[in-house]
Amino acid sequence: MTTTAPTALSAPSTEPRTERLAITREGGRMIADYWEDLFVARESGRKIIWYNGGALNPMFQAAGLAWCHGEAFAARLAAQRLEGPAQLAGAEYGYNAELCSYSRTHLGCAVLTLKGSEEPDSGVVGLHDRADLASKLPAPDLFVNNYAGCSTGQQWDEVSYRVFGKNVPIFNVSHPFLWGNRPDAGYLVGSEWDEASRYVRDQLVELIDFLEVQTGRPFDYDALSESMTYIKRAGELRREGLDLCKATPAPATFWDWISCIAPINFLPGNQALVDYFQNVKDEIQQRIDAGVSGVRGEKYRLYFDGIMNWNKLGFLSRKFAEHGAAVLAGRYIQNAFWQEPHLIDTSDPLLGMAQHYLLCPTNHGSKTLEHLTLRDCESYGIDGIVFHSTRTCRAFTGPQRLLAKSARDNLGIPSIFFEGDVADASFYKEEILDSRLVAMLEAIDVARERGDHRRAGHGAEVAWPT
Amino acid sequence: MPESVALQRLREAARDPRAYVAGWRAHHPGRRVVGVMPMNFPREIALAAGVLPVYIQDDQRPVAEGRAYLPEFYCGYTRNLADQAATGRLDHFDALLLADHCIQLLGASDVARAVGDRSVFFGMLISSLSDSWAEKKIAEMMGQFRGEFEKLSGAPIGDEALTRAIEAYNADRELLRRVFDERAAGDTTWSPVELQDMVVSAQVMDPIEHRDLLVEALAAAPRGERDDRVRVHLSGHLCHAPRRELLEVIEETGAVVVDDDLWSGRRYVQSLVPFTPGEDPMSAIGRWYAERNVDLPCPTRVQHDVDWDAWLIDATRRSGAEVVVHLMPKFCEPHMLFYPELRKALDAAGIPQLLVETEHEGIPLEALRTRLEALVERALRHRPAYA
Ligand code: SF4
Ligand code: SF4
Repeated sequence: MTTTAPTALSAPSTEPRTERLAITREGGRMIADYWEDLFVARESGRKIIWYNGGALNPMFQAAGLAWCHGEAFAARLAAQRLEGPAQLAGAEYGYNAELCSYSRTHLGCAVLTLKGSEEPDSGVVGLHDRADLASKLPAPDLFVNNYAGCSTGQQWDEVSYRVFGKNVPIFNVSHPFLWGNRPDAGYLVGSEWDEASRYVRDQLVELIDFLEVQTGRPFDYDALSESMTYIKRAGELRREGLDLCKATPAPATFWDWISCIAPINFLPGNQALVDYFQNVKDEIQQRIDAGVSGVRGEKYRLYFDGIMNWNKLGFLSRKFAEHGAAVLAGRYIQNAFWQEPHLIDTSDPLLGMAQHYLLCPTNHGSKTLEHLTLRDCESYGIDGIVFHSTRTCRAFTGPQRLLAKSARDNLGIPSIFFEGDVADASFYKEEILDSRLVAMLEAIDVARERGDHRRAGHGAEVAWPT
Repeated sequence: MPESVALQRLREAARDPRAYVAGWRAHHPGRRVVGVMPMNFPREIALAAGVLPVYIQDDQRPVAEGRAYLPEFYCGYTRNLADQAATGRLDHFDALLLADHCIQLLGASDVARAVGDRSVFFGMLISSLSDSWAEKKIAEMMGQFRGEFEKLSGAPIGDEALTRAIEAYNADRELLRRVFDERAAGDTTWSPVELQDMVVSAQVMDPIEHRDLLVEALAAAPRGERDDRVRVHLSGHLCHAPRRELLEVIEETGAVVVDDDLWSGRRYVQSLVPFTPGEDPMSAIGRWYAERNVDLPCPTRVQHDVDWDAWLIDATRRSGAEVVVHLMPKFCEPHMLFYPELRKALDAAGIPQLLVETEHEGIPLEALRTRLEALVERALRHRPAYA
């Protein structure tokens, strides 16, 4: 299509237009406390486990371990713009800049940890430089890999194991990719789903044996049920809050939910977690009651596909809001993080946990992803999709072009792609996002003027990546 | 001496698999041909069903329409696959199948599924091979492949047919492996490009036909002996063959390739199915998969007590290689992740090395030549004074 001159409607506003949920500041405090506690875990006699992939933290909580989710730590470093020292250490060790930047950052931390441990008995990364968050990560006593939907995730922990000289015990949980070979395959249904669920559940039983051996204590199944009861409730409240955001205008945005990822992803399952998500939901409801929207003057409703660009979180939220664009849904929110709490039987939670690990948003073939994306675009009344072409995350980016095509063909929804990365700011291309976003919003305006609401994607060449 | 007709035919099959498949179909009317993805597909099961399984090659054409389906930061092989799928260049296959879980391979295969109307079956072979349940899961998945090929061919696969298929591939690989072992022991009859053609044609052709041609080609060639050129081991390049001109430049700089662990080289030929007559052929195929990673470790697999770095050092000792050239396809994550371990081990062993990042579109050869010459110089300086 040809682009028309920007209309007044899509011109950026100079006024701040975001209304972030106030409660997320409380979430930030809970997360900061969690990390502070982890940094002193060894001193308080707890063993430390490094893990990647699905949220195994309730297992570790029940086993009395302190846990560090590798991706979460890399994301935190990036969000605080403290990823530099770890990435530099990784580069010096030989990791290529095109490698998954989560793994690169985390492996850099591992390298720093080893250097730090040269300082006797500290067990603390680079004691010489406490200023950097990266330098506080305690060395692991155990590794567990629980990565679904990305081969790199599994290989990354194996390499961490090698960086530590194979001296740290490791356990792998393998996840079948939900490819959809069989005619009965679909989201949460079919024999492939059932078999994969049982297989991963059986491996969790093996993991419990491993944890018992490593801790020298019997595993506390009651503690697991208890923490999963809290997590299930938090997951339900999160879902209810997400459903409230279907309102027009939306009371909260995708960016608020991004701020809620860390709590649902790795905080301990306890009453504080439930209270947090109750408060999130309550604040959203209050906003609906008071007529407050997440983006003042909401004009466009967008979907965001891709793993988060942690370096640019606040910046992106403001950028979209400036145009009156409320980003409301995304694969990384609606289709991740204990998103199907009804699957969890709290008296015997292993199967439901296994199923959530399999439901990682990169562990589906594109047919299922199309189903989920179209479903969410419809239910949130989405006008356009923004694809974060996450440079070093091939798992998220692989199906994106197919998803864009499907949204265009099935719903007439236009898309744009912009380049960035999970944890490496150097890949972010601001001009591309600016120009493509404006062009897409104009296309939406033009379609609306024609009375052809949500048909802006038909023939919209502007959306296509080059 | 002029090269044999047999060698020419192997080269043709390696460089134009589509023409080979067309010829094969003409001679085998009604039989099925499937495309399989590298690097661990149990082709024996397909052959036992009367189906020709062809490892899909990078056809080295520029990526055009494929750009609309996969991002430019996918490895060249997978972008090329997406391009082949998008432009009908996989239409000579009745179905596509894969057993490897590399996320980039899955991305390309998903594109092939979305744009084509043929089945794309993914039977994910467990990649974490240290697990106590690995053997059982491998057996289950091999059983699923058997079922899939029975569906495709419309007939049950008997143990006898499986045995014959195992023997056919084993015989072909064994002969190829002998060629590689002889090179490592000092034979310089074959250039790296000729060897690559021999292996790639084996990945494409019917194994019996391939072996017959290979026997002829080998018999027709006089044996060459190693001289004092700098001895090189080529490492890496998973899933697809490096461009031929790159291999040629290496030997033009006064070096001789004495061994490799490339997918289009020793990685393909190293493991035979460990089958003894009378045993269950399916369990032998399962063991083949499990043991491949021990015979030649692969960074796409996870096995705690198996080390590519240690294997590489041993390989250089066996062949007398003085330097290692890492051929890393740009964006190949398993290779990027493992490379520092290789570098560390080679440094510790005092073996000079060079990392060459290859790109689908090719790389500037003159710059590469300069870097290789510097490596050769370093190797010469490493040599004992009276060597
Ligand atoms: S590439 Fe993406 S999905 Fe894979 S390990 Fe990295 S961040 Fe995770
Ligand atoms: S293993 Fe490497 S070469 Fe093979 S598909 Fe994956 S990224 Fe590409």
